[in-house]
Amino acid sequence: MTATFALIVDTFREAMARKIFWGLFGLSLLMVLFFLFIMKIDVVEGATATITLFGQTAGGEHRDMAVDKLVKQVHSSISTFLYSFGMFLAVFASAGLIPSVLEPGRIEVMLSKPISRAHLLMGRFIGNVLVVSCNIVLLVGGVWLIFGWKTGVWSPGFLVAIPSTIFVFSVLLTVVVLAGVLWESTAVSTMIPVVMMILSPILAQEETARKLLSSEWSRQLWLFLYVALPKVYDVGKMTLDITLGQGAGSWWPIWSSGAFGILVYGAAQWIFEKRDF
Amino acid sequence: MTAELAIETTDLRKVFRSRWSGKEVCAVENISLRVNRGTTFGLLGPNGAGKTTFVKMLLSACIPTAGTARVYGRDTKDPEARRPIGYLPENHRFPTYFTGAGMLDFYAALSGVDAAKRRKLIPELFERVGLDPKWMDVRVGKYSKGMLQRVGLAQALIHSPSLLVLDEPSDGVDPVGRRQIRDVLHALEAQGVTIFLNSHLLQEVELFCRDVAIVNKGRVVLEGTVNDLTAGKGYKLVAMNGSGPKEWNLGSREEANGKIDDLRREGFSIESLVPTTSRLEDVFIEAVQGKK
Repeated sequence: MTATFALIVDTFREAMARKIFWGLFGLSLLMVLFFLFIMKIDVVEGATATITLFGQTAGGEHRDMAVDKLVKQVHSSISTFLYSFGMFLAVFASAGLIPSVLEPGRIEVMLSKPISRAHLLMGRFIGNVLVVSCNIVLLVGGVWLIFGWKTGVWSPGFLVAIPSTIFVFSVLLTVVVLAGVLWESTAVSTMIPVVMMILSPILAQEETARKLLSSEWSRQLWLFLYVALPKVYDVGKMTLDITLGQGAGSWWPIWSSGAFGILVYGAAQWIFEKRDF
Repeated sequence: MTAELAIETTDLRKVFRSRWSGKEVCAVENISLRVNRGTTFGLLGPNGAGKTTFVKMLLSACIPTAGTARVYGRDTKDPEARRPIGYLPENHRFPTYFTGAGMLDFYAALSGVDAAKRRKLIPELFERVGLDPKWMDVRVGKYSKGMLQRVGLAQALIHSPSLLVLDEPSDGVDPVGRRQIRDVLHALEAQGVTIFLNSHLLQEVELFCRDVAIVNKGRVVLEGTVNDLTAGKGYKLVAMNGSGPKEWNLGSREEANGKIDDLRREGFSIESLVPTTSRLEDVFIEAVQGKK
């Protein structure tokens, strides 16, 4: 337990020293403060008269409904941001944290300690996930609290964005770990998951592709890639649907992405166990 | 029986294979070595002899192609086998975001030392390795090479190891610092800590180690105590007559006694008879070149 905690704290320490943590934290905080101050509420005789968000006023006899809609729209915008720019930023910022620990002269000292390689890798992985999780919790939780407090609309569906974003980031991080133990390169460790993120919405158009592709093998290849690779787009869409109160639909993107993550992490650990340093 | 040995390797072998061309290089070739508990052991060899690969296999940083390595009777593949080991690598790169104290705290935690003990030990270790405790809260990125070497040694000592594996411990340290490090190591030796020194500084090994092994091209070419290896294989005889002192180098005790009898009969007076000794450097060069 002491060693696991030390590995997690070390990841945080390195993330802070590399300004990764502070960069993500600053961005999340900026967004929270943005919503805190951008949303103006006018109170007349103890009742909410108007709510101004991004210059739009929700009011009149349908005020409650309009506010509810507006809040859900903001929540879905945040979810979309998390699954696009936010995820890219998280992968980009934290990809270096895995290869750095494998640097010659550093890894030997860690391996000389009475901890297994699996323990070392897992400690680093958890630390990395927690660095990003803190910022996701701050952003989603902060926005949810601000909107709930200012509008009285507490939409719990939005909070699903916390576990779902952390989950997708963890799956992409397994790719970072595998690339890290194979090539010890931050650039490669960043590129591969980013390519997967870019491919995800394209591969998700599987039905359209089936109609457009002429050969059977290309259709099968498309299907294989769609099934095998993490479904960032699909999980994002699922989160968005839950945020908008439309239900989760199929859980297939979750468990297939999870299986991908477990498989890739297992491969990374197997390679790490066999490597010479 | 095996636990009497701090280190025991049996036919330890390491072959590096190129990922692309498939070319093979044998870095360590069937080394069987025994290091007694409580001794000071020096591993010597020219550059590229396989010393560091051998040490890395002891620590499981490098996976042996064949053979076994045991520390106090435990196979080094078992993480618990590394609990009694303190290790200072040659080209260490401690993360520069650590302060000196933070770095020791981290490595001690990895070794399972509890927080209260760590807080007590860290300032003590700073003083023990000759570092001013005012440097404890300074980032190691600001440390000089010698200071890094000292804090690295403190890192290796933080969990009170019973086997210390040091790769060029006085590299980059000034003569005063070397003396201090040697004093620390002597104190540990007195406490019964086994010290395994991997160094190319022959004088350092000769001054400090009781046992040595010389490695060349992945094989042990000579092994024994420093005293035995540097002991003379002959005698130097000085005798005088009317024309002044004369010297003879004699190969054995019998030969020396015979020569003394002859000289006395011829009217010489014996001035001195001294066993000849050789320096470790001579032994090293002879061992390495002799196996070429």
